[in-house]
Amino acid sequence: MEEPARQISRRALTLWRIYGMIQFAITFVVSAALIVAIVRWEWPIWIMWVAAAILVLELIFSVWLLPSLKWKRWRYEVTEQDVELQHGILLITKTLVPMVRVQHVDTEQGPLLRKFRLATISISTAATVHKIPALDEQEAEELRQSISALARVAEDDV
Amino acid sequence: MFEPKRLHPISAVINFVKGLKDAVLPLVAIVFLNGGFTSGSIEWIPILVSAGVLLLILASGFIRWLRFTYRMEEGELRIEYGLFFRKKRYIPIDRIQSLNFSEGIFHRPFQLVKVDVETAGSSGNEKSEAELTAIRKEEAEQLEEMIHEYKQEKWTPAEEETDESSTEEVREKVYEMKMKEIILMAITSGGAGVVLSGVGVFFSQVMEALPLGAIYQEVVDWIQIGVLVVAFTAILILVIAYGISILLTIGRYANFTVFLQDNDLVITRGWLEKKQMTIPLNRIQGLRIDENLIRQPLGYASVTIISAGGSLLQSDENQLRLLPFIKKAEIAGVMRNIVEEYDLDIELSRPPKRSLPRYIIRQSWLFWLASIPTSIIFFPLGLLSLLVAAAASFLGWIGYYDAGWNISERQMTLRSRSLIKQTFIMKKHRIQAASMTQTILQKRIRLGSVRVSLKSGAGGAVAHCYYLNEETVGDMLDWYQPDQKIRR
Repeated sequence: MEEPARQISRRALTLWRIYGMIQFAITFVVSAALIVAIVRWEWPIWIMWVAAAILVLELIFSVWLLPSLKWKRWRYEVTEQDVELQHGILLITKTLVPMVRVQHVDTEQGPLLRKFRLATISISTAATVHKIPALDEQEAEELRQSISALARVAEDDV
Repeated sequence: MFEPKRLHPISAVINFVKGLKDAVLPLVAIVFLNGGFTSGSIEWIPILVSAGVLLLILASGFIRWLRFTYRMEEGELRIEYGLFFRKKRYIPIDRIQSLNFSEGIFHRPFQLVKVDVETAGSSGNEKSEAELTAIRKEEAEQLEEMIHEYKQEKWTPAEEETDESSTEEVREKVYEMKMKEIILMAITSGGAGVVLSGVGVFFSQVMEALPLGAIYQEVVDWIQIGVLVVAFTAILILVIAYGISILLTIGRYANFTVFLQDNDLVITRGWLEKKQMTIPLNRIQGLRIDENLIRQPLGYASVTIISAGGSLLQSDENQLRLLPFIKKAEIAGVMRNIVEEYDLDIELSRPPKRSLPRYIIRQSWLFWLASIPTSIIFFPLGLLSLLVAAAASFLGWIGYYDAGWNISERQMTLRSRSLIKQTFIMKKHRIQAASMTQTILQKRIRLGSVRVSLKSGAGGAVAHCYYLNEETVGDMLDWYQPDQKIRR
């Protein structure tokens, strides 16, 4: 089985970097609180070093490395017959969902996604839900319509 | 049957008993917390509270019976209930999949049954199923017949005249469990653990209540003998719990029989409490054969139906055991009479040799990792953790030999073991999604795992086979792909 053809929007990368930064900011606030605690109550100093290491690692991984790896890996393809997905950084998963198995399709958009004109599409079968994150808004809308048009209710097979 | 009907009055009693069961622990707690046995003089407030609660439960059981009505109207089963908030639940007959009957000890003397209405609950959390606590057997049968007729009328309007033959339903017995098998199943079951923990909780409660302080001195004096007594008691409890569990299992599975009726599977079982389950054949999504570590060497297995049946009640695994305990060699023969399109007489191919280390690592790495600090911190005794890790490695090793897969034109068979050896037998058109997973390391040596999902109850069931050749998994996905010509 070959790689599915299409990639998700380039803007997703920026968005994921921002998510990483938000996470980084939270860790930063916690670290700052820890430093206050170290000064105020004379907590052991090594706590500070651990916090610093976590901060650096987080900056490298969640802001820089993981989003780009994740973006590079994410592939999808929708044909009349099926939906194919590929994702995962260390553990790569390729998934095949036949169109006749699709029961409904949803798109969702959080405030940040909307700002970037992106949307997440989730494809539900009777037993599973598959998500394609951060697609271009318009593309997601088209995809949603074409999938729901293609998906037929297979009677009795559920 | 258009006029609203009430349930049999005995359901008020059943409601009461059920409420009592839920309330018994808090009530006991109230009594115990307020001194209970030890304080000598029992205070009257907890007693009063308990009495009040009891009265309330009794009243609510009665009122619930009084306000609960059901009727068939305009193609719907209409249930109305509730005292202050009148609740109405209308279930379209089309959505009713089957009626399951069970008879508890309250039902038996009055020829009553409890009816569970099973719906095709594709709508997840919406609770659309219903329970009729107690109605007369004839009424239940009438109800079932009405539903059946309604559906037939709707789907085959042309054959109105031939309904005489269709209402006369033929029940063909396809499987019956032997008493010997039931007993053997009870003996090898894991139910002992459940009873044991129950007894444990009970004892811990009783121990709390005993005036320990007063007898503490004697306990210290007798500590040597005490250890013996405790050990002896523990073993005794174990044996009794095991015995109870065996009796319960026998009672639950006595007279286990499977019938084929029209297009339904009907499973009846039970001795004190009789149960009848109906599973429409076209809701069957696949089969699962389980062999655990105790039963496998004896050559026994169980067969479970993966059904798209809706209710959350049905997610209780045991209810869908089609063949709870059967000689492995006999499975194929019995199943041929029940679901002929499933082929169980097949040879499975095994994963490639080079995936053996991965099987061992997958099962045991966590244990090896944990055993290092355990061994260091609790030095001599902690070394025992190495044994545990070795056992896990062994499990991984047999996991490799138990794994297997097969693909025929319309059927996929996957077998894997984590603790229980599970064989999934699935039809292509019932599989909801299939995927291949591989880590980047596995990608380098061209191994991959396959994972397919089926609809089961309100959720899904997942079948795996780990670490196959990448090409094998690729072939499986190709096989699953709706139209192969497009892409090949």
